[in-house]
Amino acid sequence: MPITPAGPAAALLEAVDRDGTVRQAWRIERWPVSIGRALDNDVVLSEPHVAAHHATIDLVAAADGAPATFVVRAGETRNGVVVGRERVAGGAAREVADSGRELDLQVGRTQLRLRLPGHALAAEQPMSAIASTEHRWLPTVAIAVAVLAIVLANAWIDTDPDALARTMGSVLLTTIAGGALWCGLWALLSKTFTRQSHFGWHVRVFVVASLALLLLSVVPPLIAFAFSWPWVTDFSFIAVYATAAAAIYFHLLAVEPARRRLMRAVAAAGFLAGVALSLWFNVQRTGRLGEELYMNHLFPPQLRLAGTKPVDRFIGGLAPMQAVLDKKAREQSNGDNDGRGGDDDD
Amino acid sequence: MGIRDWRWGALAAQLLLASSSLLAQTNARTGAQPGPPAVPPPDAAASAAAAVPSAPVSLSARKVYEQARPSLVQIRTVLKGRASQTSVGSGFFVTPQGHILTNFHVVSEAALKPEQHDLLYVTADGREAPLVIVQLDVLHDLALLRAADATAAATGASPRRFDALAFRPASEPLAQGERIYSLGNPLDVGFAVTQGTYNGLVRRSFYPQIFFGGALSAGMSGGPALDEEGHVVGINVARRVDGEQVSFLVPAEFASALLARGRDAAPLTGPAYAIVDEQLLKHQAALVDRFVQQGWKEATHPRYRLPVPPDVFMRCWGTSTISTTGGLDFERSDCVMDTRIFVGDFTTGTISLRHESYDGTKLGALRFAARYSASFRNESFVRLSAQHQTKPRCAEDYVERDGLPLRAVVCMRAYKKLPQLYDVAVLVATLDQSQAGVQGRFDAQGVSFANAQRLAQHYLDAFRWAQPH
Repeated sequence: MPITPAGPAAALLEAVDRDGTVRQAWRIERWPVSIGRALDNDVVLSEPHVAAHHATIDLVAAADGAPATFVVRAGETRNGVVVGRERVAGGAAREVADSGRELDLQVGRTQLRLRLPGHALAAEQPMSAIASTEHRWLPTVAIAVAVLAIVLANAWIDTDPDALARTMGSVLLTTIAGGALWCGLWALLSKTFTRQSHFGWHVRVFVVASLALLLLSVVPPLIAFAFSWPWVTDFSFIAVYATAAAAIYFHLLAVEPARRRLMRAVAAAGFLAGVALSLWFNVQRTGRLGEELYMNHLFPPQLRLAGTKPVDRFIGGLAPMQAVLDKKAREQSNGDNDGRGGDDDD
Repeated sequence: MGIRDWRWGALAAQLLLASSSLLAQTNARTGAQPGPPAVPPPDAAASAAAAVPSAPVSLSARKVYEQARPSLVQIRTVLKGRASQTSVGSGFFVTPQGHILTNFHVVSEAALKPEQHDLLYVTADGREAPLVIVQLDVLHDLALLRAADATAAATGASPRRFDALAFRPASEPLAQGERIYSLGNPLDVGFAVTQGTYNGLVRRSFYPQIFFGGALSAGMSGGPALDEEGHVVGINVARRVDGEQVSFLVPAEFASALLARGRDAAPLTGPAYAIVDEQLLKHQAALVDRFVQQGWKEATHPRYRLPVPPDVFMRCWGTSTISTTGGLDFERSDCVMDTRIFVGDFTTGTISLRHESYDGTKLGALRFAARYSASFRNESFVRLSAQHQTKPRCAEDYVERDGLPLRAVVCMRAYKKLPQLYDVAVLVATLDQSQAGVQGRFDAQGVSFANAQRLAQHYLDAFRWAQPH
């Protein structure tokens, strides 16, 4: 629990956690302030990486109008003090002009923040999207119901009438248990890093992503079938990867809310790496970038919108394939011969 | 959502059943490989030659064997410089100048990879000498060889003379039930004679083959089958592994034709792929002409006319499966050719087709579509390894035949060592009913590109309404 002393503000030294929470605060009423592990310091940090008399901070007032100067002196310490971004070695000192904003220091593993009464304050932040949406359960529940309905409909389609009841039960059970496990693990991560589980947020991300993935398993095949566009399902895996990467990004937001940009980069890098690997794998496997050798999704015939061709025109259209195949046959068998020639050179 | 491939477990088993009845043409050779690891000493082969086979042999079998013995040879393919045999077969002299006839599949490794293999022959009395390949007839699985010591001796003072076997004249056909004798060296055990009967020609074979009612074993491939006078009537080639004493001979007429063609030819130099390619091109031209000209059977489905070939050189098997869980019912027809052309590491030159007729009235449109789609998805278009074939290229579209809409996929692969030959596969699904349909698949191996197009068109054209709509 942060302890913030009462009384008219002089200066405030705060120990801050990596998520921005103030762990402890010291009211500073006289300068210099001494920091260290020994009990005779003004600020006592009982931490193994802190020396007995680790550092002192002095505030030197300047002539009228000019900003004051902080003087940070590192004591007999092996680890030194980090002021802003620069390290002050043991025995050395450093002067830093007051920028009008808080001064960041690191002593041992403790992150300190020094605030003066006249310092400008950052504007008040609105509550995060995570916290503000978490209490709104209704949309989440509605989407979850939709997801369950689609999963059960799929199970109904895939199961023969006589085996239906048992399959429905197990599908329902595995879906709910799987979703709970997924969200639970993310909540555990959030709790570890932010002290809040954000379970509601994770559930929402999960159900939205699930809905998107379910739609992606139906809509691209349907488009490919209706319009006879094989490329749609050939490359729909890219949309699936994008959805998965977005879901991971939103999950991560509730784990590291302060590092939005880094998390975005992580998700984008994962997406690009996944797509590149899949494309490479497809080329190795089939000699083509796409995933499917042919469009293999059939729907009820009424959903077909594309027209038909006469057979002879379709067959005539095969002609260009010959040159492609001949080229492939030549290329690769030449490669084979070269390899064998090398082996037999004795 | 993923639609599971539940149905295909059952179908795969059906397919296996059908293919296990296929002619195992190469078994005779591959079966010999796990045999004795090294070349047995010539003495052992010679003494084994004197041994009489366990089956009771008549007096005339003994006479036939005694007479043919000097003409019989075992043919060994050995790794160059390693002296280990990779396969063994049999053969026989057909000219006093040292020409030997055997099966192509006995010498295929030496013919296609001459840089790695040597050929030699071993006579019944243990004499061993190298061989060269003179001429091939890949389509009938025959090879004409020549003893290398014959040509070497020709430069010397007195050329060596070989005891040759004579062919039975074509003007004296055998009658069914006549006794014939098959000679060879089964499993590298020793020279043997087995007796059996002539049963006429094999039914529904693309190329004529003699149905020999006797036992053939691996290693006897290429050996002669003789009549009671000791004249060659055929060459041992294959047997059915799922039957007893159901064996096959190449008729002597093809052997004598090959001899006539190659008697004065120079030995082959380098890999024989060009010859194989040329003969396969001739084969596919004849096969495709016959296939297209024979047309289709009538009355194959109540609603559609489906492509089912007549039983001339193909055989169709049908199955009917009723779902035990209230699911999809289907009927299946599988048509295959017995004939396929052996080309070393693979076979080619064959046509197969099948269709499945689905009834999903117990399921409704959505559930039917999911199963119909899963079946359409469950097709492979890869056959041979990348060493022999390119990966498949496909074209697809909706096509229409007199108002019957179809989804058609045509995939092709090119052979890497056999220029101008391709495999073509056509996949078709009817798209006119929401709770029933037919899916068909056609495969032709080793055809020219023009013939691949012709076959694909011929097959697609065969799908139509049974009655005009």
